[in-house]
Amino acid sequence: MKPSVLAFSLMAATALTSQAHADKLDDIIASGTLRCAVVLDFPPMGARDESNNAIGFDVDYCNDLAKALGVTAEIVETPFPERIPALMSGRVDVGVASTSDTLERAKTVGMTIPYFAFEMAVTANEKSGVKSFEDMKGKVVGATAGTYEAIALEEQVKAWGAGEFRPYQTQADVFLALSQGQLDATVSTSTVAQANVKTGKFPGIAVVGKAPFDIDYVSLFTNREEYGLINFLNLFVNQQVRTGRYAELYEKWVGGEVPNLSVNGVYR
Amino acid sequence: MLNYTFHWNQAFKALPQMLDGAVVTLQIALLSMVLGVALALTLTAFRLSGSRILRGFAATWVEIARNTPALFQIYMAHFGLGNFGIHLSPFTALLIGIAFNNAGYLAENFRGALKAIPDTQARAGRSLGMTPIQAFRLIVLPQMLRVAFLPATNQMVWAILMTSLGVTVGMNTDLAGITQELNARSFRTFEFFALAAVIYYIIAKLVTLAARLLAARMFKY
Repeated sequence: MKPSVLAFSLMAATALTSQAHADKLDDIIASGTLRCAVVLDFPPMGARDESNNAIGFDVDYCNDLAKALGVTAEIVETPFPERIPALMSGRVDVGVASTSDTLERAKTVGMTIPYFAFEMAVTANEKSGVKSFEDMKGKVVGATAGTYEAIALEEQVKAWGAGEFRPYQTQADVFLALSQGQLDATVSTSTVAQANVKTGKFPGIAVVGKAPFDIDYVSLFTNREEYGLINFLNLFVNQQVRTGRYAELYEKWVGGEVPNLSVNGVYR
Repeated sequence: MLNYTFHWNQAFKALPQMLDGAVVTLQIALLSMVLGVALALTLTAFRLSGSRILRGFAATWVEIARNTPALFQIYMAHFGLGNFGIHLSPFTALLIGIAFNNAGYLAENFRGALKAIPDTQARAGRSLGMTPIQAFRLIVLPQMLRVAFLPATNQMVWAILMTSLGVTVGMNTDLAGITQELNARSFRTFEFFALAAVIYYIIAKLVTLAARLLAARMFKY
């Protein structure tokens, strides 16, 4: 074999193998764009301002991530139930969408370490007489379909054996139904509850207390087999906390005591 | 490119739950058809009546039902009425929304079917000594139902498919509601939705088949 032919086939082989090894992390960097699935119906995590721009904690988080990768961020508005189809059909690269890291879901997608944590609060219609979580027994309650709190609340209603549970498709519909009195009370993350009550768009509702559900840790997610990207994301979440950016964003969008993202007594 | 490994066994485990949901779906569709036919006959009577108010009422109903999305009609039954303090459960709101839609389309069906029957038949009946009501009931109505029956089964299939819009008003016991919930829990979107689509298809096919058999028996000359 002539040396030039050998060199050429070597080059071709290298090109081919490097092609085969390009993973999602490479693809994102090469394409120059990071596409994030963000739920924009979930203030203060994701919302739209008066001029229809995407804003919120998750939006800033995606922009930070893009900056760390040296690419531009593209926010893809994704309602809760469409997070997985959006990822699987390749419309987005990463979900920055307040996704609870349940084991059931981890069978389908790859979850990072938690990047945010929610506490659950009870919001009630003032006419319903609900003053605490226990008062919700026997009432008509609801939550946003597909969320951690919806699953927990539905199980609680079944355990109580009284009352009715209704899942609505968006957080806005839940608060609309609550404000109209179609629902007596809802459980949502306390940050979302405060933000929605504050808008004044839903008269007659108030946050009445905490819900005794476990702390809801939420993760970034991407395709299950993309270890390179998941590894990068984990380090990114860690760095956000280390550099104080996490606390800064928390202060900007939520305010108050910054939730601890680690669990005592166990590794992750 | 779909980058996804299917876990069919997980979906099949949920099949009994989904079939329970299919029963609820069928119930709503059937009830909405019964209500829809009754309302449509009333609307048709209004349209034939001499009163301008009744004719206007029927025309408005048909216009709105046929020219706005079913999603909007169901959403209004729940959140629209809710604004005025009228609280319908998701089941009732869905049922009323679909019945409203059915009534609009079926009234048009009935109107078309009535036009297919020559006036001379009713006049012939009158000349045999029937009252106007008798002539309508014994001569026109049976023929009208025969003409309208097969188009009405289309509406029945449409009603079954429309029940899936119930998820927008918090319905969680029908097939679409149960599928959504299973999906939210496990994120196995494609398996559950594919299975649900197959179940909807089978229900729709069975209903069409049943209607054909029924029509062959009922409307034999």
